[in-house]
Parts: sequence; structure tokens; C-alpha cells
Amino acid sequence: MLIQLFRGKVALAFKVIVLALVTGVLITLAQSAFAQEQYIISLFLVATIALLNYTYFSKKRVPLKFFVPGIILLAAFVLTPVLYTLVMSTYTYKTGNYISKEQATQRISALALEPDENGTAFDIVVGDYRNEPALLVSDLNAGSYFIATTKERIEIDASVLTIDEYGVATAASDFEALDSGAISGSDAAKLRFKYSDPYFIAVESLNVGVVFRQSLEYLAESDQFKSLITGDLYSDNGDGNYANLNDPSDKLEPGWRDPTWFSNYLRLFQDDRVRDPLVSVFIWTVVFASLTVLTQFAFGLFLALALNKPIRGRRLYRSILVLPYAMPSIMSILIWGGMFNTEFGAINEILGRQIAWFQDPNFARAAVILVNLWLGFPYFYLVSSGSLQAIPTELLEAAAIDGANPRQVFRKVTLPLLLQILSPLLIASFAFNFNNFNLIYLLTGGGPKNQLDGEIAGATDILISYTYQIAFGSNVQDLGLASAISVIIFVIVASISLYGVRKSKVLESFS
Amino acid sequence: MTKWLRENLWRHVTGVVMCLFALFPLYLVVITSFNESGSLKVTSFLPTDISWANYKLLFNDERIPYLTWMQNSLIISGVVAVTSVVIGAASAFAFSRLKFKGKKFGIQLLLLIQMFPAILALSALYVIMERVYTFAPGLGLGTQAGLILVYLGGAMGVNIWLLKGFVDSIPAELDEAAKIDGATPMQTYWLIFIPLAAPVLAVVALLSFIGTFNEFILARLFLVDVENRTVAVGLQQFIGGQFSENWGPFAAGSIIASIPIVIIFLSLQRYIVSGLTAGSVKG
Repeated sequence: MLIQLFRGKVALAFKVIVLALVTGVLITLAQSAFAQEQYIISLFLVATIALLNYTYFSKKRVPLKFFVPGIILLAAFVLTPVLYTLVMSTYTYKTGNYISKEQATQRISALALEPDENGTAFDIVVGDYRNEPALLVSDLNAGSYFIATTKERIEIDASVLTIDEYGVATAASDFEALDSGAISGSDAAKLRFKYSDPYFIAVESLNVGVVFRQSLEYLAESDQFKSLITGDLYSDNGDGNYANLNDPSDKLEPGWRDPTWFSNYLRLFQDDRVRDPLVSVFIWTVVFASLTVLTQFAFGLFLALALNKPIRGRRLYRSILVLPYAMPSIMSILIWGGMFNTEFGAINEILGRQIAWFQDPNFARAAVILVNLWLGFPYFYLVSSGSLQAIPTELLEAAAIDGANPRQVFRKVTLPLLLQILSPLLIASFAFNFNNFNLIYLLTGGGPKNQLDGEIAGATDILISYTYQIAFGSNVQDLGLASAISVIIFVIVASISLYGVRKSKVLESFS
Repeated sequence: MTKWLRENLWRHVTGVVMCLFALFPLYLVVITSFNESGSLKVTSFLPTDISWANYKLLFNDERIPYLTWMQNSLIISGVVAVTSVVIGAASAFAFSRLKFKGKKFGIQLLLLIQMFPAILALSALYVIMERVYTFAPGLGLGTQAGLILVYLGGAMGVNIWLLKGFVDSIPAELDEAAKIDGATPMQTYWLIFIPLAAPVLAVVALLSFIGTFNEFILARLFLVDVENRTVAVGLQQFIGGQFSENWGPFAAGSIIASIPIVIIFLSLQRYIVSGLTAGSVKG
């Protein structure tokens, strides 16, 4: 019966239907990605479609049939982001340098507008003249009226116009006014309406037009912008901006994301404003992760030793002690944050002090370690007590017979054995805490920090929270620099973890 | 008596002190949730009068879509848990049982991938999903579907790795017998392996559920609309934002959100202790 389900025509039909549906959805997505000029994503989707259909219609590739869904997900949401991080780390990629060079060039041209000397502005009506976008312009100073399209300017006599009480023309023959909804839907705001060269009229608001002229001209052959006012030349400075040849600090906005190879990495070592905070953050990250593992392990082990005997109430102790570990950590961290509040917090109340925990670097660091101890000691209590039971009692008895006192037995036999069993877990815990973003972000926000000085790194910031601040936190979101730091963190964490895996001999089971 | 004291007193003292340390914040949350004043204060160690006002607020105040948040969290975590285990189990089975070229390389790559914390690629994920949004607004940045996809990718490495460990411990004789009887790998997988591994799959799914429920930063970055948020993000903004210092409803919300997780966790305790999850630290 069941076999039929997996071999029969029903199964085949089911397979074909599911594959057809998935393929259909993916093709639609690939098409719209292509239409939006997201070529890489589109290509990825096409490759996915090919892989899926090849795998499930071929009779041979059996292992691949099991792997394909997992491989696709890993490729799309783990491998690609990792590779993309690598790519981004070699680019100038930050606020102001977010778009492609092509888009930036267009944007610069569109934004390079200079009003005329008097700042002339007219009352206008936005509409269509003989099916072309046009403005009905009232020049109240001169008492003249005209219709401006993108190609021509037609003077119109006041006598054939409908003019309101303020002297503003509201309607003309062959001119069809648009209502406000239609205006925001049209591209009238982007058009340049004829005035008198080199000046033109641009739509400033629903009923105001301002006279501008183009201030920058793009010279395609030399890839430069020329100022039409001063005659200065702006060229690609190799760092994602057009800069004035006479004054390199005079850059045109916006810039674009520009490949700069290793300049983000070099900044980490050469730029003081980047290097100094990075060094102090790195040191604190290592101190934080080590102290955390040490305190969590010490408390957990001590508890495990204390409760390593069937004393009365052990079960009760045990079920209470795992509670901090069982609680969703986000909730616990936020609660601790409230308890450390200077005025209303329970901790100051018990101590009878008014300590500003999160304003002082050292108090803030102590608080971070304490909260992490609370979060993590139950884990080490659980694994330590498990490992204690795994140590053969014969060893301990033999040591005792040889005349060792309990303390010596612990130091010379139990502890070395425990460390050997638990060292992969200790290393894994170190690697985890090295990137313990939630704790830092939710408890102290990385602070205290001197925001007035524009500092991005706070006293309790660890590498990962510092990276987050660089990428998303501050005014200038520098994704390129953040990616470079991410790559370095990954190398560190991967080395630590690989070392841990070696230790735990997982690699031996490869066959 | 003195012998008992000498041998056991320190054990009980340690136990009691650490239990108090463990319980203190939790106790504080419980009494705060029943206290109308809304501050996280120890007014008295015994609640003087019990008020349900904070709980009522969660369910009745229109500015706090608590039930929606809770529902979002449960749906997102549930979908991620089930889907990632279904997909991960197939890969784990292939890694453990099938022979193919490049298997060793694949396992090593997987080992490396499962160590990579998703948060490191945060900027890249953000930019990629921003682009996906331009052509598929239902899947890109700001949508739960997009978040689920990202979670699935992130969960894949760890889950395949964990499941592979479990599958290795299932005796190979069983599926070899099936093979001799003429079963294809697909049949072995569905008829022999899945029924045998069902309890283990459930454990990994539950661990994955807890992990996703606890995830904060991707959810924070991806879900902008108040109605879309998960309970973790919602509650955080609740004390950080316009309701600052309003701890009463926060405490009540945390307690309700924690109950399912604590129950799942306590029932899984023995798997965690037995080292099956060796190397994975709960986040």
C-alpha cells in the first residue's frame, strides 16, 4: 500500500505538479527581477530552476535529490551574503555612496540647478497643452502670461485667459489643468519647461514654478563634470565621488559605491579615528568573552560539585537553577536592564546607593558580566554535573587510596579530566560570547559613550555591536567598513571554532 | 549531626544562595506584573494587592497589538522549525547514509558554514533583501515571508549538522536490510528512516523553535510595521519607546511569552544535558 505511494503514478503526478508550481513561481520572480535590472538575482533564480528540474527529473542523481532544497537555501541566504560581505568590504559603500555610478551621474545632473540672480518664481498651473505636459505661467510683475512646454514657450494674451482675483491665470484654451493627485502621479516635477536659454522653469510645488539654469554639465568623453558657472572641472577621485580638480575636498553629491580594493581594510590600521576605537573594542571583546566563560564555568562547576551528592532537595534546587537558562534570553536581559536603572532599579534600592550603572564605564562592564553570569551559569552547571558523573569513580578511589586528600583529588584528577571533557564546550561558549550581540545591544546599547564627540564605540561595545553601529547606528552608515570588520571577526571566530572542533575530535568521524 | 553539618551544610548554603540569585529577577517580574504602579521596584517583597490591570491592558489596549505580536512569533518560529527540519533531515540523511563524490568536502564546508553567525552578514542580507523588495514586495525587506526565508537559510547549517549527528547514531543495519529487500533510497528514507528518527526530529524542531523565538536583531531590522513585529521586538520597543519606564505591561507580556518557551525547554532538558547538542550554545 504505502510502497504504491512512493512508486506509482500518483507519486509521479504529484512530483510533476509540485515541480511545475515551484518552477512557475520562480520563473515569474526571475522575470520581474530581470525587469527591475536585478540581473544577478535573476540569474540565481534561473540557475535554481535549472537545478531543481534537472535533479528531480533525472533518474540518476539520487544524493542530489536529498540535498537540493538545503543547498538552495544555504546558497541563497548564507553563502551569497557571505560572499557579498566580502565584495562590499572592498567598496566605498556608505551613506552618500549608496547607488551605482550611472545613477549617481544622472542624479548629479538632475540636482545641479542654479536659480537666476533674482530668484524669479512664477504662479503656475500644471497641466497638458495639446497632449503635452505644460505649465500655464502668470508673470505678475510684468503682467504677462505664457504657456511653457518642454519645447516651446507660447505667449498668450490676457484677454483670452480665465484670470482669478489675484491676477493669476487659471485656464486657457487647449490647456487642460491636472488635479493635485494627477500631478504627483505625473513626472512634471522632473521636467524642464522652456523659459529663455539657458534658464528654464522647474516645478517647485503645486502652483509655484522657479527659474533655474543647469550649473553642471557632464562631459561623457572625459567622465568629468564641468561647472557652467565657474568653469571648474570635477573628476572621479577613485573613492566614489566627483571632486573638484582645484580643491579635492569639494565633492559632488551623491557619490556612488566604488571598488577601492583594500582601502577599508587599510583604514582599520591607518585611520586613527577607526583604529583606536577598534583596538579598545577588540580588547574589551576578548576580556568580556574570557571573563564570561570563566565566571559562568566557575559558578556552574562549583554548584555541580555542591550538588553532586544525593542531598535532600536536590531535585528542587535543580529545577530552580535551570530557570534562567530556560527563560527567553531577550526578556531576561531587558528585565536586568530595568533592575540596573539608577532611580527606579531594584539593585540600587537593595544596595541603598544611587549608582549610575550605565553611565560609568567600569560599572557598566561589571553589570554586563554579572548579567551574563546569570544567563549562562545554569548551562555550565548542567554540563558540569553531567560530566562529573561521567568520570569513572575508580580513578577517584585510586587517588584516595594513594593518600590524596579530597582537595588534591579535585585538583589533580577531577579538574583536569573535566577540562578535557568540557574544553570544546568552553571554546564554543567563548566563540558564542565573542558575538553576543543581544546582551550588549539590549542591556547597555554599547554605552556609555560620548555621543557629543561623535564617538561610535562605547565602553561596553563588543566587535559585533560596534560593527552594527557602523552599519546601521550612526548618521553615516558605512556598510563597506562594517563588512571589512565582519570579515575579520569571521576569521577570528572560525579559527577559534575550528580549534575547538579539532579538540573535540569531531573531524575523526569523517569517512 | 556535626558530621552531617560538615559534609552537607555548604552544599545547601550554595544551593540556596544560587537559587535566590536565579530567582530574584524572575520574582521581581512576577510581582511587577501584578503591580499597577508600573515601575520595576521592590516596594515590598510580598505583593500587597494583586491587580490584573497589566494583563488586561495587554489584551485590550489598541496601541499594544500584543496578541498579534505573539501570533507573529509563534507562526514565524513554527514555520521555520518545521520547514528547516523537513529540509535539513533529507540533507542529513544523505550525508550520513549515501555515498557520493565530494562528501568529505561537503561536510567540511557545512562545518564552516554552521559556525558563521548570521549577524555578521547582516549588512549584506539587508542590501540583498532591499533589492528583492524592488521586484517582489511580498518577499523582500519588511515582510515576514522574507524574514522566514532568511531564518531558514541561517538555520540550515546548524540543523543539518545536529541532525547528521543523530542520524549517525541510528544503526545502519536497518536500512541495509531494506536495501537488500530492494528498497530505493527514497523508500528507505520515508519508510525506515523518518519513523525511526521522528522523536529526534521533534527535538531539533523544538530547539530551532526556541532559537527563532529568541532572535532579535534580524526581526528588528526586517519588520518595520508595528503589526508585523515579533513579540521580542514589540516588547523591547515597548519599554524603549513611547511607553518608556512602563514596566508593568512589559512584565506581564514577558511572562506570557516565556511560558511556552520555558515548558518546551524544561521538557528537553535531558537532551541538552546528554550532550547531544554539544557545542551549541543557546542564544
